[in-house]
Amino acid sequence: MSRIGVFTCWCGENIARTVDVDEVAKRVAELPGVRCSLNYKYMCSDPGQAIVREKIATEKLDGVVVASCSPHMHLKTFRKAAQAAGLNPYLVEMANIREQCSWVHHDRVQATAKAFEIIRLSVEKARNDAALQPIRVPVTRRALVIGGGVAGIQAALDIADAGHEVVMVEREPSIGGKMAGLSETFPTLDCSQCILTPRMVEVGQHPRIKLYSYSEVEKVEGFVGNFRITIRQKARYVDVSKCTGCGECWIICPLKRNPSEFDYGMGMRPAIYIPFPQAVPARPVIDKSQCAKLIRNGCGLCEKKCKAEAINFKDEDRLVEEAVGAVVVATGYKLYSIAKSQPKATLAGYGEYGYGKYKDVIDSLQFERLVSASGPTGGVLKRPSDGAIPKSVVFISCVGSRDNAKGLPYCSKICCMYTAKHTMLYKHKVHDGQAHVFYMDIRAGGKGYDEFVRRAIEQDGAQYYRGRVSKITQEGGKLVVRGADTLAGMPVTIEADLVVLAAAMRPADGIEELAQKLNIGCDEFGFLLESHPKLRPVETNTAGIFIAGACHSPKDIPEAVAQASAAASKVQVMLAADELTREPEIAAINEQTCAACFTCIRTCPYHAIDRAELRTPRGAFIKNTARVNPGLCMGCGTCVSVCPSKSADLQGFTDQQVYAMVESLA
Amino acid sequence: MSKAQEFEPKIVAYVCNWCTYLGADLAGTARLEYPPNVRIIRLPCTGRIDFNLIIKALEVGADGVLVSGCHPGDCHYTAGNYHARRRWILFRELLDTLGIDLRRIQFTWISAAEGRKWQQVVTEFTDQTRKLGPYKELYATGPFPDVPAPETASPGVKSFAAESELREVCGKLLAEGTVKVVIGYGARGPVVVTRAEDAERLVWNNRCFSNLTAYLKRKEIKSLGKAAVIVKPCDEKSLVELEKEAQFERKDAHVIGMACEGVDQPKCAHCTARTPRFADVTLGVEAGPEPQTSPSPNRFAALMAMPPAERMAFWTEEFNRCVKCYACRQVCPMCYCERCIVDKNRPIAIDPAPSTKGNFAWHIARAFHLAGRCVGCGECSRACPAGIDLALLNISLHIAAQKNFGYEAGIDPKAEPVIGSYTLHDTEAFIR
Ligand SMILES: Cc1cc2nc3c(=O)[nH]c(=O)nc-3n(C[C@H](O)[C@H](O)[C@H](O)COP(=O)(O)OP(=O)(O)OC[C@H]3O[C@@H](n4cnc5c(N)ncnc54)[C@H](O)[C@@H]3O)c2cc1C
Ligand code: SF4
Ligand code: SF4
Ligand code: SF4
Ligand code: SF4
Ligand code: FES
Repeated sequence: MSRIGVFTCWCGENIARTVDVDEVAKRVAELPGVRCSLNYKYMCSDPGQAIVREKIATEKLDGVVVASCSPHMHLKTFRKAAQAAGLNPYLVEMANIREQCSWVHHDRVQATAKAFEIIRLSVEKARNDAALQPIRVPVTRRALVIGGGVAGIQAALDIADAGHEVVMVEREPSIGGKMAGLSETFPTLDCSQCILTPRMVEVGQHPRIKLYSYSEVEKVEGFVGNFRITIRQKARYVDVSKCTGCGECWIICPLKRNPSEFDYGMGMRPAIYIPFPQAVPARPVIDKSQCAKLIRNGCGLCEKKCKAEAINFKDEDRLVEEAVGAVVVATGYKLYSIAKSQPKATLAGYGEYGYGKYKDVIDSLQFERLVSASGPTGGVLKRPSDGAIPKSVVFISCVGSRDNAKGLPYCSKICCMYTAKHTMLYKHKVHDGQAHVFYMDIRAGGKGYDEFVRRAIEQDGAQYYRGRVSKITQEGGKLVVRGADTLAGMPVTIEADLVVLAAAMRPADGIEELAQKLNIGCDEFGFLLESHPKLRPVETNTAGIFIAGACHSPKDIPEAVAQASAAASKVQVMLAADELTREPEIAAINEQTCAACFTCIRTCPYHAIDRAELRTPRGAFIKNTARVNPGLCMGCGTCVSVCPSKSADLQGFTDQQVYAMVESLA
Repeated sequence: MSKAQEFEPKIVAYVCNWCTYLGADLAGTARLEYPPNVRIIRLPCTGRIDFNLIIKALEVGADGVLVSGCHPGDCHYTAGNYHARRRWILFRELLDTLGIDLRRIQFTWISAAEGRKWQQVVTEFTDQTRKLGPYKELYATGPFPDVPAPETASPGVKSFAAESELREVCGKLLAEGTVKVVIGYGARGPVVVTRAEDAERLVWNNRCFSNLTAYLKRKEIKSLGKAAVIVKPCDEKSLVELEKEAQFERKDAHVIGMACEGVDQPKCAHCTARTPRFADVTLGVEAGPEPQTSPSPNRFAALMAMPPAERMAFWTEEFNRCVKCYACRQVCPMCYCERCIVDKNRPIAIDPAPSTKGNFAWHIARAFHLAGRCVGCGECSRACPAGIDLALLNISLHIAAQKNFGYEAGIDPKAEPVIGSYTLHDTEAFIR
């Protein structure tokens, strides 16, 4: 660029008081490449911008430097002004002579000299600027939601209500997630299913939501705006399009004694089943590991009974492909598996609590089913071993959580609240019963939360002990719980009828594999990583992929829902137009000179670089190379620094530009 | 001295756009005064602050260089500063080995809220640099004590037992067409054999010190078809790294590993790898002297015992001899870029003409590009017609990678290379 206009601003007195703007403008006019140099009282004002526009036209400027305040303040302003005058906005630079000069120095001579050098540096950059065009990426205006818990449901409905198509993939036979199995929810104690099931039905009936239940994401290809998702629909042995959900099949099925997943083994279900009455879709599935027809070609009663001829024992997994522009991951959580044996080497279990050994030591989700009106006991709290009504229940919080030795140093956040809830639900059902709680700290931050815990203690008489339980043994018909009350400084022994363990929250099974398919990150515990903990909490480092709910960290329902709506609104912004426009200040690789070492691929925080092949126009292979995906690059320039052959460069901050700036200081 | 004459240092600051630049803006908004010496160059992220830029700043006469970005965990691009921190940890060790005055390069994390910290850092750094005076010692000559000469040995030729077996195996590979070419050792250095009958020209003796894997990158050899390459256990390390860098695939070459009795090189004295681990076929038996338990890079220790100015003088004298023939690059198995950084002319990162500045820039870039990659074969030092001991610089980074990140090139095929990876816990004590 050789016809650069430099516009020095007085910023009223702000700059002019310490910097001799006339002197600066005069000296700048002499610099190589500078076509005109002038100063004005307020460059950012309308008349100031008019001067810039006018000079661009009359002097045929091919570059502009505005010497004024911080680019964070007005770079956009002047880029727009230049664009209005027909100059590519990326040919505009700013020299920050206010925040970084006139405001921090008093000596007029020194400040003037420095201002001149700052401008010279910016002129050097401008001389090496290149006209850049915003990057346009076509967008498929549909979204995929993975996981149909309350977070996934919220996200899907928000996006669909905004007018976009949504594909939802849920791996269980029904959507609803954990919330569908909760009894009543803190802090209001409203019935969980009463608030959730209408939302589930909405999903099932929404004209813009395509639900794949009993399905999983098999493969993910493409990038922001242009994902191709392969979905595996697991063999259900029931043709959903024919089935009317009448229920004849599961009533007739003779194999009724299979532990129900939905009841966490607290109840039983047939081999052909819907997980719970309000399931969406309300269509059964056959468990092939149990069905007598599928195992040994026996039975077949359901097929005979079904008038809709929906049973299909020959069903197989099917792969379908869907194109979407954005993805919301809402795969939720599962509970830590307490017992001694653990799924991962990094985790350790509790042998001493007798979980899995004593029938009446259960986890918190099992307890939810036992007190749920729709649960296996019809809402009457009966303990699993003998069906007796427990008169003394011990609740233990932080089972696994905040315990380095168990491999789960984090706080599961919601257990304090639901344990308080459990003591209340218990008291409301068993008026003469006593709830005991062992806790480490009570963490009840949230609207109405602390009041809720107080109510459990003060109104419903739950007995709280600050301390750990060291051992649970079975003696006679009782569970003897030995622990400590560290506040009283005394050991405590309680004879209980039922023990409920508030197990830590862990991410859903298979999260690491899913994250790998999506090219997003997990923390060491498997929770999905957000792009920035403060500023980009629902984004991931892969553009177009968002996260919501307990797959990100332990969360309660209000938080999961809020995050889901936030993710949905991000998706809506993305899907608002057929094209995505992105800043062009991104990396580019000289594919001729790239050594194909792929260090940059390993380095890029956004997985924006791929392996590619350089070919002739007729398709003959020339060499391997790295290639930047302009739809993904965020322009950090980290790849530039690691590239040994200096083939990667960052537009807007090229080596050429940066060297020119440094050399101007020689 | 009157105020007007007092030395005013030139300070170049490379800062990231999102934290430190905004921190400096905040200092302005809050009218926090500081010395006017600093010139800020705004870059998107510390990830973009390449070591060449630090060298460039010194080349243009900066007396001090400030490098600053977001605190760990706060990078606008999540990980740019983690990558940067890793590189700085290594780069500082290299600069230290060269005798560059580390007080002249200040690294800091300054957030957008830390206007006051910006003020303090700039003020203190400017004052300190003013006291240090102009950076006259940079690339200066001067006296320095003797550094023990590189141990060289030129004993007589001693053939190893596996020689005949090697010829037989190679002859067979060629005859059967398993490979089209064998890269091996001949009586006078590396040879390339393409006919079965020529396998007789291959030798296996105590003079087989070259690292033949460097030949795999050559176009003229690639064009011959699938190659068999003869490797010692130490040479094999470069294959491990090359594979990580997508330069080599096992299916492309037949690797003939030689159990090694030592080839009378200094490195052999403390070599612990006597049998190849990944070869397609391994010949011979391991023997030779027991490895010394603690490797003693004598020359390196002697160098590091000098004060920085003497180290600098030592290197200035060494590098001034460099004629930029690039023989070191040619023989290095890990230097495979078709267009090397020195050959890039727009912009010129490294002055291609032999000059002190340009020679330093070349040697810094060469050494740093090999950080965590150099397998210590010593080929570069052997190839240099000017007798520059390049391996000495490589040792510095080898030690740095091992000490800071537990990484040793060529050992674990699964370990992530040092550059382009990071952990949240990379530790240093120099970033303010
Ligand atoms: C005992 C207990 C009591 C609780 N009580 C309350 C309460 O009273 N109030 C409150 O606010 N919160 C409560 N919670 C918390 C509440 O359960 C969660 O906040 C909420 O369920 C999180 O919703 P989600 O959609 O993120 O996850 P989930 O409910 O776990 O839903 C995730 C969904 O994704 C599906 N999925 C998982 N992986 C995949 C995959 N790979 N592919 C496709 N689909 C997949 C799952 O099948 C599931 O349907 C309680 C939690 C527990 C453990
Ligand atoms: S500039 Fe940053 S985001 Fe873009 S490709 Fe390079 S490393 Fe990735
Ligand atoms: S780091 Fe440079 S040479 Fe290596 S693959 Fe990336 S662009 Fe190519
Ligand atoms: S010793 Fe020299 S030739 Fe061998 S790998 Fe290291 S730098 Fe390359
Ligand atoms: S081989 Fe020696 S002279 Fe040649 S470029 Fe390398 S160091 Fe310089
Ligand atoms: S943006 Fe500041 S260090 Fe990356």
